[in-house]
Order: sequence, then C-alpha cells, then structure tokens
Amino acid sequence: MPEESLDLFFERLVEGEPISRRAALRRMAAAGLVVGSAGSLLAACGGVEGTDKGGGETDVASVSHPKVAIGTVTVSNWPLYIDKSVIKDWEQQVDGKLKYVEDYNDNEEFFAKVRLELEANRPIGRDMVVPTDWMAARWIELGYVEPIDKDNVPNAENLLDSLKSPPFDEDRSFTLPWQSGITAVGYNPKKTGRKLSSINDLFDPKFKGRVSMFNDWRDSAGLVLLGMGKNPTTASEDDYLEAIKKIDDENRKGQIRRFTGNDYTKDLASGNLWACVAWSGDLVQLKADNPDLEFLVPEEGGMSWSDNMLMPKNEKNYYGAETFMNFVYDPQVAAKIAAEVNFFCPVKGVKEILAADDPELADNVLIFPDDATLANINPYPSFDSEVERKITAEMQKVTGA
Amino acid sequence: MSQAGATAPAPALGRRSALRRRRALLPALFVAPGLTWLLVFYAIPVLTQLWVSLQTGNPRDGFTQTWNWDVYPDALSEYHEQLFRSVGYAATATLLCFIIAFPLAYFIAVKAGRFKNLFLLLIILPFFTSLIVRTVAWQTLLSDDGWVVGVFQSLGLVDEGGRLLATRTAVIAGITYNFLPFMALPLYASLERLDRRLVEAATDLYASRWTAFRKITLPLAAPGIFAGTLLTFIPAIGDYINAQLLGTTRQFMIGNVIQSQYIVVRDYPVAAALSFVVMVCVLIILALAVRLIGSRQLSEAAVA
Repeated sequence: MPEESLDLFFERLVEGEPISRRAALRRMAAAGLVVGSAGSLLAACGGVEGTDKGGGETDVASVSHPKVAIGTVTVSNWPLYIDKSVIKDWEQQVDGKLKYVEDYNDNEEFFAKVRLELEANRPIGRDMVVPTDWMAARWIELGYVEPIDKDNVPNAENLLDSLKSPPFDEDRSFTLPWQSGITAVGYNPKKTGRKLSSINDLFDPKFKGRVSMFNDWRDSAGLVLLGMGKNPTTASEDDYLEAIKKIDDENRKGQIRRFTGNDYTKDLASGNLWACVAWSGDLVQLKADNPDLEFLVPEEGGMSWSDNMLMPKNEKNYYGAETFMNFVYDPQVAAKIAAEVNFFCPVKGVKEILAADDPELADNVLIFPDDATLANINPYPSFDSEVERKITAEMQKVTGA
Repeated sequence: MSQAGATAPAPALGRRSALRRRRALLPALFVAPGLTWLLVFYAIPVLTQLWVSLQTGNPRDGFTQTWNWDVYPDALSEYHEQLFRSVGYAATATLLCFIIAFPLAYFIAVKAGRFKNLFLLLIILPFFTSLIVRTVAWQTLLSDDGWVVGVFQSLGLVDEGGRLLATRTAVIAGITYNFLPFMALPLYASLERLDRRLVEAATDLYASRWTAFRKITLPLAAPGIFAGTLLTFIPAIGDYINAQLLGTTRQFMIGNVIQSQYIVVRDYPVAAALSFVVMVCVLIILALAVRLIGSRQLSEAAVA
C-alpha cells in the first residue's frame, strides 16, 4: 500500500477526516512519539573527531542545473506539513516521482542524523530538506548547501517581501521558505482571569507554576528581550545571556512549570498551563478544539521564523528539487498547502485565492498577517555558530540539562 | 619397516597433542561468545566514551585529542546535582518497588495457586505497551484538573491549587511504576523456589511466624532481592523519560543532561565524560554487589 494512502487511512481512522500537521504533532506528542529527541541519541554518538566543515565554497552566481528528465526527487519534510494531493499533482505535471518522506521531526535530531555524511562529503539521499532558519544558517555556514538555480524557480518572485533577505541568506541564494510562523503567547483567559497584553504577563506571580516556555532560547529569550524593550534580532550575546538569566530567576521562583518543545500543546489544552510561549499555527489548531484559547502577539511584539527548503550538497537531482520548489510557489498550490497546515504562508497572492473558497481562513491574521502584525514580529538573530553554541549551553543550564 | 615403525606413532602423538591443545582451548572457546559480547557492547563503547571525553574543540572546527582530564572535574562540578539526584531517585524508586513487589511476589508464589500464571501475566501485561506511551498516560492521569489530583486534594495530601504532575513525586512514582516488574519477577522466582517445609519446620520448632519469616524466608529470598534491586536500580539511574515527561527541569536526571549535551549543545566531550562516569558508577555498584553476595548467587537469581 502506498505510504500516503496508509497515512490517510490512519488519519481517517482517528479523526474521521484528514488532520493537519500540527494537530497530528500534538497527538504524537501526546502519544509521546516526539519526546525530546531521544531517538537520535545513538545517531549523535558516532565519531566526533574531525571537522564539520565540508563542501567548500560554491560560486553562487554561476550555478546552473541543466533541465533534464525529472526522475525521482526525494524530499524530507516535517510531518503533516503538506496537502498530500499536491504531491500527486506535481508528479502528474512533470511526469516524475516524488519520494516525500516525513522524517524531519526536530532540527537538532535531523542534523545529528546526517551530520557525519555531510561532513564526509557524502550524499544524504535527500534532494531537499526543510530546516528552520537558524538550522538553515548552520548548514549554509558549514558549506553543506547547494545554491538554487533561480532560472529553474521563476515563481520564487512570489515570495513575500518581508521574507526576501534574512540575515543568513541575504539574497535567498540557498533557501526558500516553506512555511512561516510566529512565536508569541498562547493563553486561556478563563484560567488567567484576565486578558493578557504583555510578554511580562507570563511572569505574573498569580500564574506561578502554570507557565511554560520553549527549550529553545531563540524563542524564549527572544520574547523576554522584547519584554525588556530590546530588539531580539539585533541584540548582542550579552543581551541574550541577560534574558536567559531572567528566565533562570523566574524558573527558580517556580514560576515556570516546564520547558517544552512541541509538547506544550497538550498541557495548554488540558488546563495544566494557563499561559505559555506558543507557535501561531498550533493555536489555530487548538482553537478549533477549544475556542477559549487565545493567541496573543503582545504589544512588545513576537518572534517570526520560517522553515526553509534547501538542497544538500552532493545530491543528484537538483533540477527536480528546483522544479518542485517552483511548483509550491505557484499561488494556487500554495493556497492548498496553506488551507491544510494553517501556518503563515510565504507566498504572495494566496490570500486572494482562499478568500473565494474559505473567507474565514483568508481573514485569519495568523495565516495572513496584516501589516500591523508583520511590523511587530522579529526574525531570529544571527550569531557566529560558536556564540550560538555558548548561548545554547547557557540556556540548557537553565532548562536543567 | 624400521622406518615405518619409527614414523607410525608420530601422527598418533601429534593427534593426541592436538587433542590436548584443543582441550586446553575448550574453556576459552566456551567463554568466547560471552567475551566478544562484553567487548563489543561494553568495553569498546566505554573506552570510546573515554577517548571522546578527553578531546577538546567545537563542532565547527572539529575535535582533537588533547587528553584534557579537566573535563571530569568540570563536568562533575556543573552537573553533580543531576548525578546525585539520579542516584537518589533511583534508590527511592528501588525501595518503593521492593515494598510493593515483595508482598505481591509472595502472594503470587505462595497463595495464588492455579492463578499464578494469570497474575504473572498481569504484571507483565503493561509492558506490551511502549514505555513512553505508558508514561504519557500518567501525564493524563496526574493532570492538574484530573480526578487523581482532586482525590489527593480532598484527602489533604496535595495543597489546594497544588499539583502532582511536574513534581518530584510524579517522577519517582513514574520510575517505580515503570520498573516494578524488574523487581517483582526475580523476587517471585526466588520465593517460588523456596521450600515451604523449611518454614513449617521452623514453626514446629516454636519459631513465631515473624521469626520464621526473618530467619528462613528472607535469607532464602536474598538472591532475588539483590537481583531485583540491581535490575531496578541500575537502569533507573540512567532513566530520563520519566523526568522528561512527568517532571520539570528541577527534576532532571543525568540522562537528560547527557541527551541534551549530545543533541542540543553538541559538547561531545562533556556528554561522553558524563556517560563514562555513569558507566563507572554502575560498574562499582555491580562490583560491590558481587563482593557482598557472590557472583554465583547473583547470576542464579537473575537467570531464574
């Protein structure tokens, strides 16, 4: 039985209808299938001597991937992050085969899995992967990425202007966003007893032990910096360490119940958490089950991020991968994906298409942020990888490990 | 003829000495599979950890061997809290396991009669489900608005507005639950083999039931107690699922630290050093246990 139809079968079995990616992640988290990144410990225990540096410099300007028969393209993406019919449509259009694998569960975990191959300049068997901004930055810095031949991706011009030049890839030579999202505050007004407006409301002593934050300092410390009146994108290493110190203080007071990954959604839905750092797409999903929940982009602002399509070094089918990128940047196709996954859509013209079919979705500012929201969200900072690792180590000390 | 006479015994002698040599090799051959196992799955990994732990560098520029022994005092001073906590939680959970499992095993071995196998099956039954799924079920069970917390609150065991989930109690309870069979089954094995007539003889000789229990049952169950303790305590030290799912960062154990050092921080030397420390701790505990009760009794109980 083909993989997709098996997936669909299980989705229908559980739900009676196909479910979205985040909802399924939530369910998987509930079933404990996304616990930390335990499964990849072994993968990471491999040899560590030698250097991560591989690849070598590529001349970005002269990149050219000849147009050939598509053949088979292998893509690794996050689970339930696509409308599966898109895969079939593409296969039909280009007369190729798309091996769409949903094995990208966690940035660090996936990196640990493929690190040794990349380091040794060997193919990892994926023509395209979809890491989050900071992880994409790491791949680019280490020279593990093949530039995109823009001639093969004319639709790339549909990319939202606000996403056109992230600090890690100023002219999008290597990456294109798959979906974007906002990190801000999720809360239950029935539990908190009042409307929240500021990030610092997370530190209201009345919510002691009912607040959670993410393990990842880019989200948690980024928001805390906003609460301190600083710009998290341009903040210095010391600023971040100060924000982490503040999180540490609150944690020692018992204010923060847990540091989580995806699994916060279960605690928020069941009422264990009253307010927490949260991802926009999750809340669109959670609200469908529990209308009490609210997603708040605080007055100080929120963090924004993208998961980016990129092509690893030493693979075979770059032209195929680029053709697929071009396909998903067609607004019609992007609209299909947006309607399914509920994150915010990086492609221009999608809102107008959805407005006809599903006006409610098209008006959702979490999927199509208005200008006010866009002005109020900040991309992750970009640090040297060793600085990043130092901050990560500090944050891990606070989160207990 | 003389030539033949001279050479004839020689092959026989050769055969005999070859046989003798093979006989001498025989014990080594018997030990070989076990030794290979130990080498491949224990010695080599442990030594690799030791080797990696002494390197310095970073993931970007690579790691080189510098025999940096300082990593041990550094790692221990940073993470001794989690290490002690692991030992403390594992010891508490082992004790609780014993308190719960002993009466249980005694009942099954002595009183359950023809339902013995049914009860044994009931102990093992939850283990057909994955450890993680079982532990996540506890999350639901212990949630703040759940009935367990409600009952505990009305009994005054949990403060009003207090919680069970994300506390030390939840983590230790989780470990106890998840490791119970490792205690119950060896205990059952040694209690089941116990000759009931010895207890009868003791009571015939005017020993009270308590004295008979103390002087007969308990010593004869000792191998089971030791095996159960080791089988529970050793894996419990390295456990991190319960702390991750039922606890907070204030309950994190050494396993959580090692995981995050490997995957998130990517400080491989520190992660390797901590793994090495844990393995050495386990080895010391095992050696002490062997000294205390002898390896034969230990393996007998474990095998039974």
